[in-house]
Amino acid sequence: MTRLARRALPVVVAVLAVVSATVLAACGGGGSSSSSTSGGSTSASTSQAKNGGTVNLIGGVAPDSLDPGFGYTTQAAEPDWLSYTGLVTYAHQSGTPGTQLIPGLATALPQVSADGKTYTATLRKGLKFSNGTPVKASDFAYTVERALRIPWGGSGQFIAGNIVGAKAYAAKKATKISGITTDDATGKITIHLTAPYGAFLNVLAFPSLGLVPSGTPMKNLPNNPPPGVGPYEIKNIVPNQSYEAVRTPGWGTGAMNIPGIPAGHVDVKVKISSNVDANALSVVNNTNDVYDWADTIPGSLLPQINSQAKNRYQKKVMNSTYYIFFNTQEKPFNNQLAREAVVTGLNQNAMSRLSSGSLIPGCYFLPPGMVGHPTTPCPYGDPAKGGDIAKAKQLVQQSGMKGQPVTVWSQQRAPRQQWMTYYTSFLNQIGFKAKQKLIADASYFPTIGNLKLHPQTGFADWNQDFPNPIDFYLLVQSSSILPTNNENFGEVKDSQIDSQSKKLGEVPTSKLNTIANQWQSLDEYVAKKAYVGVFGYQTFPALISTRMSPNYVFHPLYGWDFSSFSLK
Amino acid sequence: MATSSAPGTDLSTELSDALLGEAVELPPGLGPWQLAWRRLRRNKVALFFGGLFLLILLLCLLAPVYAKHIAHIGPADENITGTVKVGGKAKDVVSTTGIPVGPTWHSRYFLGADENGRDVAVRLLYGGRTSLEIGFVATAITIFFGLLVGVLAGYFRGVTDGIITRVLDVIWAFPAVLLGVALGVSLALGGIGPLHGNTLMVPAVVVGLVYIPYVGKPVRGQVLGLREREFIDAARQQGLSHARIMFSEILPNLGSTIVVFVPLILANAILLEAGLSYLGAGVQPPNPSWGTMIADGIRTIPAAFHNVLVPGIMLVLAVMSINVFGDGLRDALDPRSKVRIAR
Repeated sequence: MTRLARRALPVVVAVLAVVSATVLAACGGGGSSSSSTSGGSTSASTSQAKNGGTVNLIGGVAPDSLDPGFGYTTQAAEPDWLSYTGLVTYAHQSGTPGTQLIPGLATALPQVSADGKTYTATLRKGLKFSNGTPVKASDFAYTVERALRIPWGGSGQFIAGNIVGAKAYAAKKATKISGITTDDATGKITIHLTAPYGAFLNVLAFPSLGLVPSGTPMKNLPNNPPPGVGPYEIKNIVPNQSYEAVRTPGWGTGAMNIPGIPAGHVDVKVKISSNVDANALSVVNNTNDVYDWADTIPGSLLPQINSQAKNRYQKKVMNSTYYIFFNTQEKPFNNQLAREAVVTGLNQNAMSRLSSGSLIPGCYFLPPGMVGHPTTPCPYGDPAKGGDIAKAKQLVQQSGMKGQPVTVWSQQRAPRQQWMTYYTSFLNQIGFKAKQKLIADASYFPTIGNLKLHPQTGFADWNQDFPNPIDFYLLVQSSSILPTNNENFGEVKDSQIDSQSKKLGEVPTSKLNTIANQWQSLDEYVAKKAYVGVFGYQTFPALISTRMSPNYVFHPLYGWDFSSFSLK
Repeated sequence: MATSSAPGTDLSTELSDALLGEAVELPPGLGPWQLAWRRLRRNKVALFFGGLFLLILLLCLLAPVYAKHIAHIGPADENITGTVKVGGKAKDVVSTTGIPVGPTWHSRYFLGADENGRDVAVRLLYGGRTSLEIGFVATAITIFFGLLVGVLAGYFRGVTDGIITRVLDVIWAFPAVLLGVALGVSLALGGIGPLHGNTLMVPAVVVGLVYIPYVGKPVRGQVLGLREREFIDAARQQGLSHARIMFSEILPNLGSTIVVFVPLILANAILLEAGLSYLGAGVQPPNPSWGTMIADGIRTIPAAFHNVLVPGIMLVLAVMSINVFGDGLRDALDPRSKVRIAR
């Protein structure tokens, strides 16, 4: 028996290898590999995925709201993307292919006029909301109006700033948005822009512009979000504790079969618990199935993860920039030398260690995966080599800002608090008198976004809304400075940034490669002026249980694609 | 007494009754304080823990000396990318995956580092200074205002007593930690005058205010009894003002009560400060305190347990030593224990 087994083993392995190769070749090469899309580093064919069951996802932070008309955090966009499809959406694929725009509820990608100011789309026929109500073209206009009135966090920049009449509607000076016309009979939707905006198709793909029925209350409905159109419905919300993303019955059949938007295999229960250590351990130990990619895995757990769950853990890169904002209108950072001192002396290796080694060092505002990310050396030294403290001290001395009091604003969650604790200590080391101000996570950005406070410096980050550099440059345009919900925390006012980014922002996302060098020049200029203190680009953890199939899609914009989840 | 059945307090009120018994017999030639000292000297356990507390206090006071001449690093000095020699080999103070070095048993990083690469031993001593400083200031606030409102309420009775007692009841009705968190967060953000941001006065005042009823109500009860005594009647007959009666006649008679309350309130104040700091409503980073050190260490428990264990042990030792010594002090000042002395 033993001998036979030993002799037979190579033969069995060879036969299995041939059979496997044949099957894989058939799956990979055929056009019928999957009804869904797949791809990216970890995704594979999902045609053989098992249907049924519930996946438990555990996260450290609750969504700001699951109502698409309000939700703007990554935790909200992740489920909303699958429950509220817009006229346009993104391919359900991992990596760069996932940034490709595909038609959503529109029959095709909207047609853009020659002057870049008019977008025309036609709604698919026979669509229904999750409550059974037929979808009408006028629902699109209502959805945009609702996002403006609630208002959704990006509405000022992306809607009011672009669509004709949207500003007047937002200010309640009009009863309709004059720049949107719809025809329910034909399903035709026409959108007029005030000026060409190259990323407008990406704007249409925001979950916040995912259609909701006309007549939905014009207020944030976080606990009972409105019906939508998509492969999932959000149900059973327990505020700050849990919610469920349940597969929409009938999705993928008849009129609800939208190419590129697959039906899910499992329902997903999302649970919220602020203890990220316990969350990670629960996935390692298979109590839960998926770890929220937006949370950091504590370094102290990495040895255990590497021994117990190495094949279930990956680091994922998304276009995000982690930076320190400097208030360019207030002392001491209204002085360029003071800003240069920080950028020169900040030790990015130290900051990376504080986040379990999850930061990729860099100095440019545009992240490496974004078109326009410069390839030239950083103007104030190689960030991978650690900071130059002596030079930083010298620059502070030269700036005349030595001894200036500085308040460092910080979130409480790890590692952001630890980053800012290090930064505070660093500022004191180079000659400022710094102290740290901790703000609860949920209220941090609204607090520092209150212009009256004029926060001097502190933590900020940005994950791409869409793959276009203009999405990042909205954070440093003077037109973005707002009395509340201000995103230009540093109150940067630079005419070169304003004019250049506006001009480049008119180029459609699909033609970005033609102006990549101009974006690079602008980004080099921003780094040279030290308007922001970039301290790295985050990698995100993808950790799953042994119950989960590893053939999932990790979307470059929204992270976990629930519709790709399946159980073994 | 009003306090005897009050919920939520762990401060003994038997003492107040006992101290009222001024007419107890004393050995000839010995005053009550001398007698108390004789009793305390015989309580070796209390003396040991009293000594332990003094040792902790001394070590914490010497924190700058330790930091400057032994560890050569300050409490907020970070050394994330630095190395330290352990067993002759250079080791990262914080590894590339964020795990801090454990105890080296050398002058630098004697008790290891925290995740920001700071010396745990240095922060432990500075944290002790912070915790004790807040404890003492909070105790002073509690004792001062507790005495003030207790004496006023007990002496004047009537409307004054009613108002003060109701206010104390309202404060008492809140769980101490919950009230502390609410006050701590609002003061740290908004602030009133100098009480704002990350000044140590914020947790000190918060902790001090929270415990006022715990002193005020027993004092009130004691004053209610004292004001009916003959020597107070005599003072009134002599035409002394209310203020003089309260502060010259009644207050000295509360001396032994205060002495006993101090360690009890101090221990509770240190514990509450640690709790509030752990919850982020007390001492603000980068200032160290035992509570913030425990909170900081939670994240590294699986790989660096010392970051929680070390401040936790110090907290337990400090609070236990104060409590045991306080118990001994109470026994010594309690006339009912005279029997043992007389033997």
